[in-house]
Amino acid sequence: MSSIKEKFNQISPSEFFYSNRDLAGFSNPTRSLYTAVREFVENALDACDQKGILPDVHLIIKAVDPEKSDPKPYILTVKDNGPGIDPSHIPLAFGTVLYGSKFGLKQARGMFGLGATMAILYGQITTNKPVIVKSSMDGKTQDEFELLLDIQNNKPVIVKHSTKEVSKRGLSVSICLEGDYSKAGNKIRDYVYETSLITPYASISFDDPKGEKFSHPRFVKDIPPPPTIIKPHPHGIDVERIRRMIVESQFEIPTIDDAMIEKVRKDLGLSMKSLSFTGIMDKAKKKWKTLPRQVRVVIALMSFLKMDFDKLMKIKIEDIDMANKKLFYWDFGDSQSKSIDMDPANPYFKQLTNTVQGEPLTTFLTKRFQRIGPTTALKFAEFAGFKPEKRMGTMTNQELVNLSDSLQKYEDFLAPDPSCLAPLGEEPLEKGIKKFFNPDFTAVVQRPASAYSGFPFIIEMGIAYGGDIKTGGPHVYRYANRIPLLYDEGSDVVLKVVNDTDWGRYKVKGDPPFIIVSHICSTRIPYKTAGKENVADRPEIERELRLGLQYLSRKLAAYMSKRGQADMAKKRANLYAKYIPLIAQFCTELADKKKEPNYKKLLEDESSFDSKKIVEEESEIEN
Amino acid sequence: MKTSKSKERSNKADEKQKNILEMLKSHGAKIYADLNDGQFPKFSIPSRSVSNIVYDKKLRQYILGNNTALRSSRNSSQLRSFTQLMWLAFFANRLTKEKKSSTLRDVYYSSQAFAIEFEDQSESDNIIVDLEAVTSKPREDFHIFPEERSSIFGDLTVEYTIPGYEGKTMNLSNHPDGYSIGPSLTTAELIDTSAEIVIAIEKGGLFTRFVEEQIDKKFKSIIINTGGQAPRSTRTLLKRLHDEMKLPVIVLTDGDVYGEHIAMVIKSGSANAAHLRELTVPDAKWVGVWATDIEKYKLPTIPMTESDIKRCYDLQKDPRYQDGIWKKELDVFLRLKRKAELEAFSKYGLTNITDKYLPQKLELAKSL
Repeated sequence: MSSIKEKFNQISPSEFFYSNRDLAGFSNPTRSLYTAVREFVENALDACDQKGILPDVHLIIKAVDPEKSDPKPYILTVKDNGPGIDPSHIPLAFGTVLYGSKFGLKQARGMFGLGATMAILYGQITTNKPVIVKSSMDGKTQDEFELLLDIQNNKPVIVKHSTKEVSKRGLSVSICLEGDYSKAGNKIRDYVYETSLITPYASISFDDPKGEKFSHPRFVKDIPPPPTIIKPHPHGIDVERIRRMIVESQFEIPTIDDAMIEKVRKDLGLSMKSLSFTGIMDKAKKKWKTLPRQVRVVIALMSFLKMDFDKLMKIKIEDIDMANKKLFYWDFGDSQSKSIDMDPANPYFKQLTNTVQGEPLTTFLTKRFQRIGPTTALKFAEFAGFKPEKRMGTMTNQELVNLSDSLQKYEDFLAPDPSCLAPLGEEPLEKGIKKFFNPDFTAVVQRPASAYSGFPFIIEMGIAYGGDIKTGGPHVYRYANRIPLLYDEGSDVVLKVVNDTDWGRYKVKGDPPFIIVSHICSTRIPYKTAGKENVADRPEIERELRLGLQYLSRKLAAYMSKRGQADMAKKRANLYAKYIPLIAQFCTELADKKKEPNYKKLLEDESSFDSKKIVEEESEIEN
Repeated sequence: MKTSKSKERSNKADEKQKNILEMLKSHGAKIYADLNDGQFPKFSIPSRSVSNIVYDKKLRQYILGNNTALRSSRNSSQLRSFTQLMWLAFFANRLTKEKKSSTLRDVYYSSQAFAIEFEDQSESDNIIVDLEAVTSKPREDFHIFPEERSSIFGDLTVEYTIPGYEGKTMNLSNHPDGYSIGPSLTTAELIDTSAEIVIAIEKGGLFTRFVEEQIDKKFKSIIINTGGQAPRSTRTLLKRLHDEMKLPVIVLTDGDVYGEHIAMVIKSGSANAAHLRELTVPDAKWVGVWATDIEKYKLPTIPMTESDIKRCYDLQKDPRYQDGIWKKELDVFLRLKRKAELEAFSKYGLTNITDKYLPQKLELAKSL
């Protein structure tokens, strides 16, 4: 029996991730090194974005022993100029799993800051070395921690803590981990390169283990507007989420003990003064607006009990049955349970109801969701078959499920508010593409915000042709929330859309030098796997991608046909230059002339020739 | 008397050459003027597409309809062929001036001396047809001749007009192998003949037999070997024998659908040459071997092939095969599904064809 009982012991989140590290992208030394780089760089960029700081991110990877062959331990360090972290939070933030500052609904690269802790955990497992965190919030004092994770207990172990004077603000995290740079190097370099394309306002540098330095200075001075945190959209909700919101919205009946009574007296300004029941009620009426909620609840109870403070001290509230309008209490004086009827006409009845049964449905909806106003709330209640005044606290499990289902199904909610999204913007995207590829042609588009399952998203896309771009296109650069996606592209929705395109229709033929950049911004990217490398083909997202790509392809086609015309004109000019002199030569002899005709004029005129005329001439004239 | 007549003939040949040269010059002058004015030269060519080939009942031959195609040097896809055509006119001009003869293949190779590329000979052949279409003159007028494979024998006196032989005469019955119909014969003046008929025969073997059997003398005839489908120079010569010497023309072919059509082409031309009008002998008569002869003369036969039969059905759609013996014999071929060669008469002796068959057919021809 006891052994079975042991199996049901809780495991800590650290243990859970330890045994499931594949899920988070730490399956082997190659992938792990790459994932660790990603997590730390993304955290650094997120931290700067949130505070509106132009990021300077410095990535260093060094082999512990350069002579050893891969896989081997590496020291990975990421430094930023972000806001730093309060030293009191550092041990918990870096020494426990599931401690993060990113909970909340807005677009960010990572969701909960989990990945970084996973990287630390992985480093500790493979090398048994602590993570070194240096943080300065004010640019004067720096706290340095060496931390280990207590995996079983999900607790940080502070190995060392010191402070010193510095001149720069920011955070530096350094871990030692088993990695394989010879295999991961390409991907990491691509990652840094592609990140700097989608983060043109950041300076990113990378010192690789072989001593090479890659530097990508910022080329856009303006940071895109930061996203705002917003309430959830009704389509993106589930039963569990509603349950939690109800708990948040309900107020418990305060325990009426001596301390509570003292607080009520004080708030009413009656600390030193004893008043009768009616006196207290009058006083409360006058002071009502300034009273805190708990005090109001006590007063409401007193109004039904018709008791003053002295009497109130001698009872304990047992139950409040709003349905039957009865109030049960234990009277210490008589040592028995008593009940009174509550009069619904009493103005305090509503106050009590709110507290005991939670808000009415309509209030709950309008206060806690985006895109629901009073009118929509009423319409929705009718749609879902609930009374608008139905109290949230009185909902049964089945009713909650019905509510959740109805919220998903009701179609008349406005689309989610996209203000929680932070797309890069057309201009910086175009600038980035031009800088990176020096193309002959560039077009970018930002689609209007759309939503899938209650999560808003925005698609940004760019297309470029010619210049420094390699042939064999289209080369597709995929991004999601400003993260480059490098692995598993085969099953990605963007690739699907690109591959479905018949490029011949857009006059792109052969082995074309062209690229496509796609950026999906959303509060929740529908990744297919926890490794966050490929996006699932949600119809709404696919549709937006398709529309975006079609728009760009049409622009490309227009360019290509212009380019084709220019090529044609050149080709034609060459043909004229080749054949017209021959024609001149032959007709001179035919016409029995001595001097060749002056055809130079013809060849010169041709260069400024209107292409429309040619089309007319080229069709055979038949009658 | 004879010299003045000769001079007259020589003038006639000169006249023709002068006309050709004048015409080429006027085309050249027009293009020269266009270039000088800063215009892209262009000209129109009668369209040779199938839809523009129509049968003219009055002329009894295929002719081109009214559709024309504009060929412009401005059009980059036509510039190359425009230049090729210009070169060909230029080249034909030289040939005509210098009275030099040339062949289709010659033309193909000559082009290379002038940086004019032809993909292959069929491309250059096509340009030659373009020149014919533009000028409405057969290429022989520009001294471009087919490879020789047909020949002539009989009492016919000709006077050459080619350089080095001007005024020289020749009787075409002096050499039993016959005379090949080449540039010199095609351009020669026809002086005199005692013949009363021209017999065109499809095969060289039978031609030799006819010479041996002195058909020329026995039937006062000129014998011509067409060597299968008659080359255009041969057809031109046939026409001239008919028009200038007033000789009737009969055609003797194998007893199959191809033979029937060889006769038809001599009579009314081919769709390929619909742009030309001097190649037909509308009065020519096909005297055999007919399908009905196969049964009548009990000739040994061989079965028709798939393509023979297909050809029969194709010709049934041709307007020229809608009546008379043309239709009748075609129908019989289709019924028999068998064919007989000229040599089939050898079953009854080598001279059977000349002793028995030919006299009967000559007699019959008078009533056709």
